[in-house]
Amino acid sequence: MNGNLEISVDKLPVKRLDAIEETGAERFPPDVGYDEKRESLIRRIDFAWAVEKDDNKRLKKRSKESSSSATTTPWQWQNMVENLQFAHQELSVIIDLINTVEANDAVTVAGMTRPKALPNEVLSDLSVSAATKLQCYRHLGIYFKQSAKSLEQQIAKEARFYGALIRLQQNWKVKRQRVAAPASGNEGFTIDLFDNSLYDSAPVSRPSSLSTIRIDHDSAGMLAINLPPNSCRSFRFGFLGVQSGDSSKQCSKVKNSCSPRPSKEAKESVNDDECVREKHSLLREVHQAIFYEQVFDIVNREAFKQSLGVNVTGIRENYLQLGIGLGISIFLSLIPSNQGDLSVDSWVNQNVESGILPLDSHDGVKLAEEKDDILRKSGGYPNPLTYEIYLQQVFHEYLYGRAKNKPISTGTRVSGPPTKDGSGLLGHFCLSLAHRIFSNKVRVELENAVCGVPYLHLVSHPTWHSRTSSWTVFLKVPQSILHAESNSRTAETAKSHFRTNVVVNDDCIHVEGEGTPNVVGLFEGRSEDMSSMNKYDCDLADLPVIILQQVASQVIRWLHEEALMVGIKANRDFLSLSFELDQGETVSLVAHVDPEDMRGCISWWLVMEDGFAAERKLSIDISDDASDYKKFLGHLSLDVLYSTLMDLVSLCGGGSH
Amino acid sequence: MNKGAGSGPTAAAAAAAAQKQKTLMQRVETDIASIVDNFSQLVNVARVNDPPVRNSQESFMMEMRASRMVQAADSLLKLVSELKQTAIFSGFASLNDHVEQRTNEFNQQAEKTDRMLARTGEEAAASLKELEAHYYSSGHRTTQNSQQ
Repeated sequence: MNGNLEISVDKLPVKRLDAIEETGAERFPPDVGYDEKRESLIRRIDFAWAVEKDDNKRLKKRSKESSSSATTTPWQWQNMVENLQFAHQELSVIIDLINTVEANDAVTVAGMTRPKALPNEVLSDLSVSAATKLQCYRHLGIYFKQSAKSLEQQIAKEARFYGALIRLQQNWKVKRQRVAAPASGNEGFTIDLFDNSLYDSAPVSRPSSLSTIRIDHDSAGMLAINLPPNSCRSFRFGFLGVQSGDSSKQCSKVKNSCSPRPSKEAKESVNDDECVREKHSLLREVHQAIFYEQVFDIVNREAFKQSLGVNVTGIRENYLQLGIGLGISIFLSLIPSNQGDLSVDSWVNQNVESGILPLDSHDGVKLAEEKDDILRKSGGYPNPLTYEIYLQQVFHEYLYGRAKNKPISTGTRVSGPPTKDGSGLLGHFCLSLAHRIFSNKVRVELENAVCGVPYLHLVSHPTWHSRTSSWTVFLKVPQSILHAESNSRTAETAKSHFRTNVVVNDDCIHVEGEGTPNVVGLFEGRSEDMSSMNKYDCDLADLPVIILQQVASQVIRWLHEEALMVGIKANRDFLSLSFELDQGETVSLVAHVDPEDMRGCISWWLVMEDGFAAERKLSIDISDDASDYKKFLGHLSLDVLYSTLMDLVSLCGGGSH
Repeated sequence: MNKGAGSGPTAAAAAAAAQKQKTLMQRVETDIASIVDNFSQLVNVARVNDPPVRNSQESFMMEMRASRMVQAADSLLKLVSELKQTAIFSGFASLNDHVEQRTNEFNQQAEKTDRMLARTGEEAAASLKELEAHYYSSGHRTTQNSQQ
């Protein structure tokens, strides 16, 4: 509305007299019906102002267009904008009308009919609808393609995963976890590495933390096994204070595959077969690590029991130090796989110098190390790798062989842990190790003794028992002597060899020798009565002397038999052979043993004795080579001894020889 | 799945397996029917209607149908995964056979290794005895003794 305000005045709704007749009757205008009244109200709505307004606008625009038509081009959407504005105005007018009518409650809208569309309008609407629908279908097509691609990828991933899982299941126990809401690609599979049969016999107190391994997916959808770092540990055994080159090599053998691999390695495995093989190897290493933990656990439990030959001298986490007697200390430990490059000795030294809580005094440990140095120099230590394997084998048979009721020993070898003496597995192992070291010392002593005597042979007898060793010292009569004897007589044949058996059980040395005189017979003056075999035990320090004395006595016996063969009566003592000469004199062939003699361990003396020699026997210096009563003959071979014997026989002036 | 022992499944296990199979078949049929039905609806609404409002309504419905189809396909995929898992964890017969075969193989290998070790030990003992005999009767040892 502009400034002028037009006012329309309605007549009052009072009935006005239309006419009066002559008779006085009043004539009023007829009542207006409802429809007529409504119609009149509608007609009163004046749209003149709107029409006038539009006309003014049009005139103004035309004037503007005419003024600017020479310089600017009209906007291409201008007409559409104007049409929309006009349509908006008309709509607003109609809405106002409807609201007014309804507000007055005089008129209600009964219905509206759409004006009939023009053909071009129909076609344009149809084309818009068709284009819209086509676009919709294209969107659907793209959506389906993406979905198909993702489903194909998922199918391929699952095929690889389940293929690998089936192959793993052929060798390992795969379990399925019922997960309520599994994550995409993870159905909750695990691999159980624990042997349930071990629970029944209770050798293992609790399952390892590595017993259950979760199976995951890697970025490529392939089966992946991720382990926490330092989860796998390897078993180590060694002698304290001994350089062990093999152990350091074995440390390097420990693979680092137990550590979690980056995803790049998974990508590098092009072939699924290789990937599955890698998983097999990884699971095998974890299985081994579990076994090592079980062994270490059992060793720890047995170490603190009262057991033969085992004393705990040091302990810390994953490390145990034991004293097995003879001043020898060993250690057992679990080393993480990522420390495999470190040498065992440096790792052990770290434990020795710091962190260990020794149960013995520090001096005891030092003394043990000094003795270990001695043993190392003497070469008495076996290869620690062999005993590491033996320890694992012993416990493996105990854990799994007993569960499966398998016989412990196979073939002729009896290496199983005997528990008759109540030593237990660890005790048996330590006793075996101590026995091995001790038997090496015994062997060295025997070899030294045999090397000192040319006519001795040492023969080893493998017993295939971990705590028993056996050797035989052979005294062989030379063939030349045997041939000479065989030419002279046919009825009897002298012995061609004498044996001395040395058997070591744990740390006990047992010697059996033939040809030694009966001790009882010696006391009674009858050395001829002798048992064929004498058995006695001895210490390591006395072993060389005893062996040499045994050999010397066997030589004496042999010489005695030879003398008897030729009909000469001779008296035999432990290490001497005496002949009676005329005029009551005796000549004796006496053996002297000295393990430290580098020229020969058995030397011979010729001793002349008259009837009064017994009084002077004690005062004779045996080391006086220039004595009138004795003469040092030297370190004689059997041939020379035999010749000497024959000379003595001829000196005696008797015999068929 | 296979809950029976020894010779074959028990009646309860057989009934459970049959029920499980029936359930899976129903799921398959439901999913396939859903895919077919939704695809049919998609094809049916290809007609262009006059009121544009109806076209908008149909576009929303088409999106919904497409989502249902993909959902049904995913459900089928999960069903296949379940069948694979069932095959992995229920194939006791083949698994037991394979385990027994591997066990026998390993036992034979263990026995073979034991025999080999025993034979190696015997050969080593024989070789040791022979070497000792040769050494102690050799001129080398005699020369060493004479030098001493």
